[in-house]
Amino acid sequence: MVMQQSTSSTAVPVTARRRDKGRLMQEAAMLAPAVILLTVFLIVPFFLSFWTAMTNQPLVPRPTPVRFIWFSNFIRIFKDELFWTALWNVSRFTFWIIPAQCGLAFATALLLHQKLPLRNLLRGMFFLPAITSMVVVCVIWGTLFQYPTGPFNQILGFLSGGAIQPIDWLGDPQWAMFSIVLLSAWQAYGFQMIVYLAGLQGIPDELYDAAKIDGANAFRRFWHVTMPGLRPTHVFVLVITTIQAFKLYTQVAILTQGGPKSSTETVVHYMVRAGFEEQKMGYASAVSVILFVIVLIIALIQRQLLRRFDV
Amino acid sequence: MSDIALSIPQSRVAQPRSATRVLRAIQVTCIFIIALVIVSPLLLLVVASLKDDRFQILADMGSFRAFWVSNPTLSNYAEVGHLSGELAFGRYLINSLIILITTVCSGLIVNSMAGFVLAWGSLKGRAVILAIVIALYVIPQESIIMPLVIMVSRAGMSDTFAVQIVPWVASPLYIFLFYQFFSQLPKELLEAAEIDGASFFRAYRSIFLPLSLPALATVSILMGIETWNQYLWPILVTQTDYARPIAVAIATFFGQDSIYWDRAMAASVLMMIPILGLYLAFQRWFVSSFIGSAVKG
Repeated sequence: MVMQQSTSSTAVPVTARRRDKGRLMQEAAMLAPAVILLTVFLIVPFFLSFWTAMTNQPLVPRPTPVRFIWFSNFIRIFKDELFWTALWNVSRFTFWIIPAQCGLAFATALLLHQKLPLRNLLRGMFFLPAITSMVVVCVIWGTLFQYPTGPFNQILGFLSGGAIQPIDWLGDPQWAMFSIVLLSAWQAYGFQMIVYLAGLQGIPDELYDAAKIDGANAFRRFWHVTMPGLRPTHVFVLVITTIQAFKLYTQVAILTQGGPKSSTETVVHYMVRAGFEEQKMGYASAVSVILFVIVLIIALIQRQLLRRFDV
Repeated sequence: MSDIALSIPQSRVAQPRSATRVLRAIQVTCIFIIALVIVSPLLLLVVASLKDDRFQILADMGSFRAFWVSNPTLSNYAEVGHLSGELAFGRYLINSLIILITTVCSGLIVNSMAGFVLAWGSLKGRAVILAIVIALYVIPQESIIMPLVIMVSRAGMSDTFAVQIVPWVASPLYIFLFYQFFSQLPKELLEAAEIDGASFFRAYRSIFLPLSLPALATVSILMGIETWNQYLWPILVTQTDYARPIAVAIATFFGQDSIYWDRAMAASVLMMIPILGLYLAFQRWFVSSFIGSAVKG
């Protein structure tokens, strides 16, 4: 035994070192594409956005040099009423989309988490909106929202016997954001549904059996087994929904362009307009930095909550 | 309760059982009705795309005729399916397909290789890179898009296919998903491969990659949906039809004053087909527990 070990310990290092070197080269080569791409297209622009935010960088290069202007952009943003409107709108959107989207996702997940005939077909049907491009969603819902004779108005009129006047879903400042909430919730709940399904699968059956033996009825089982078991899932879903909500853009850009009367103006829409319509890249970058800080704060809150729940 | 149930003869137990069966049938019917309501806007889209008269589409919208077409025609599809011309969406569809296939394929390779090294490699600084990758996940695309536009336009990459592919190939989320999947596989696999003289790369390619079908499927679906539905980035970096994807084309078309609803609907249906195909092909492996594990990560 001792002999064998000593011979192998003298023999191994030479070949092992050679092999290790080859292996490390392979590892580096396999890691390199991802590292290079992430550096060039994520890390560099990320730091550049902080730099650009403190300059008067225009979209198209001008003969006058780019000036470093410290925090002027941020000060101008905070003085701009439209920015505050955008931030307020996005908060409003978040406030409505969370119950709508997460509620729908949770409900459908509960429905689907049982032995059902054609379960995969059902799951596919419920997931279908999630794979539909937002642009296509806008085409469909654009027709549904037609004023005054679109399907929604017809249904409302029919159900109320003509008592409810047709609503200008996208053209009325009172309704525009609500309409955006509706179509956004419909489009995106599928992903949250999948996350909830995964969460439900993660709850051990024994817990339900034990609760049944203890005589807990369906409601109590739901309240004392399902809900606590889903705590991390709830936190995750809540956080991704909030972060997604703060990035609201496509629906608004296509359907309302921020209108009517800025009632659907959002932070990202405000940013894109500043950068590409007004050609002020420095200013737009400052908005993007603010957006990042908001997202970061939400993510940090998630970590704290998860740490508290995940014992 | 259970004592009473035990004392009842078999034949009488069957009664409540059939009652629960009825209840269950009602429940299942309800679920299907809800699913139909959820899907109905998409049904409406497909039906409307088969109507040739755009005024008829709007007139029908308010009644059940919205879900019925008396004389279906594919003329809208023929119209938008051309490869050139004013309403030609075939071209944009092909552009999108090129972008989709290239992005997903290279994304699978790049991210899975990185995930594998992070899981089983012996490079120094592996843990640091992993920590950075996880931290990078917080940065939203919207936050880096402004400097990125300046960068790619300075590099002369505007209005190309590359500009829509290369920046989004490597992704912290997918690297992390692969890392997690690989590290759940037994270490003995790698040891056995190395004893048999296989190199590190060989072990990855011939043993670990074939085993990671669920991960590959999940990343394909997520990445496919993400790439296919990109809107903000392509409107910022494409100016001409050359590499413009179908999402931007439909949106531009939709924004015109006189909307050709019939054509817009047909183009939208065409846009749904490839991504639906991708989902159907891979849904078997689109393991929900896989995303579930990311929840806690």
